[in-house]
Amino acid sequence: MKSFISLFLVLTMTALSTGCLLLGKNKEYQPFDTSGLDRLSAGRTTASEVTEMFGAPTEVVKLSNGNAYIYRRSLSKGTGLWLILLSFGNYDTDHDQLVFFFDQNDVLTHYGVSLNARKASYGLPF
Amino acid sequence: MGSRFDVAFVLIAFLLSIALLSACISYRFVRAVQGNEVAPPDGAFQLGKTSLGEVLSALGAPDELAELEGKDLLLYERAVLEDSRLTLGIPLPDIIRPNVDLSAYGTLVRYDRLWLLFTPDRILRQMMLEKDSSRPYLKTLFKQN
Repeated sequence: MKSFISLFLVLTMTALSTGCLLLGKNKEYQPFDTSGLDRLSAGRTTASEVTEMFGAPTEVVKLSNGNAYIYRRSLSKGTGLWLILLSFGNYDTDHDQLVFFFDQNDVLTHYGVSLNARKASYGLPF
Repeated sequence: MGSRFDVAFVLIAFLLSIALLSACISYRFVRAVQGNEVAPPDGAFQLGKTSLGEVLSALGAPDELAELEGKDLLLYERAVLEDSRLTLGIPLPDIIRPNVDLSAYGTLVRYDRLWLLFTPDRILRQMMLEKDSSRPYLKTLFKQN
């Protein structure tokens, strides 16, 4: 009887844990070369120098007193786990973003940097 | 002998029911998060005093930018989606025409948003923080309105 119960437990665990695990990754754009940020100087660096360093911006926004160039890269990591009766999914997206503010003469006034793409992680949703 | 047979019968029936139910009952839970924590430092930003440079060095690059009637809007945002789905069904359409299939699902997207409005000379004029991602999933989902 004891061996029968053991066999039953093994079969039950096997049946319940039968499933599939999926890991996926979605990348947009190339990583930024942030070494160029050290060469930036508010009041001196121009918009054309910024585009020489970082290429064409992802988005240009007109502001009240100039423009802003936005550079964005995103990294998503997805995890899926399918069991017999249960399935779980988790999708984590984080961004690297550079935003440069220019005055009306296209001279850099401010810039902001967020490098969070590497924080995207695999995992279960709880 | 009889009780041993009964136990074996129950166990086999249980295993069979698991195997059969796997086609009929399923529960799915999905969570998707986009963006990072939106958390302005406590008391660090003061209307009429804090500059754009101070905000950028504290929070980094904003997620969205826009001009609103001569003022500049910076938006920091994090979205959290949670979706759960319970399905009950007996997939027998090829054998009998009536087919039992019941499912219930709930999808909830919650946002954390920080709006910062700057004057043309780039001084903070208005600030709004909305933090919804910490609200409980089920309670928020079933709340009326």
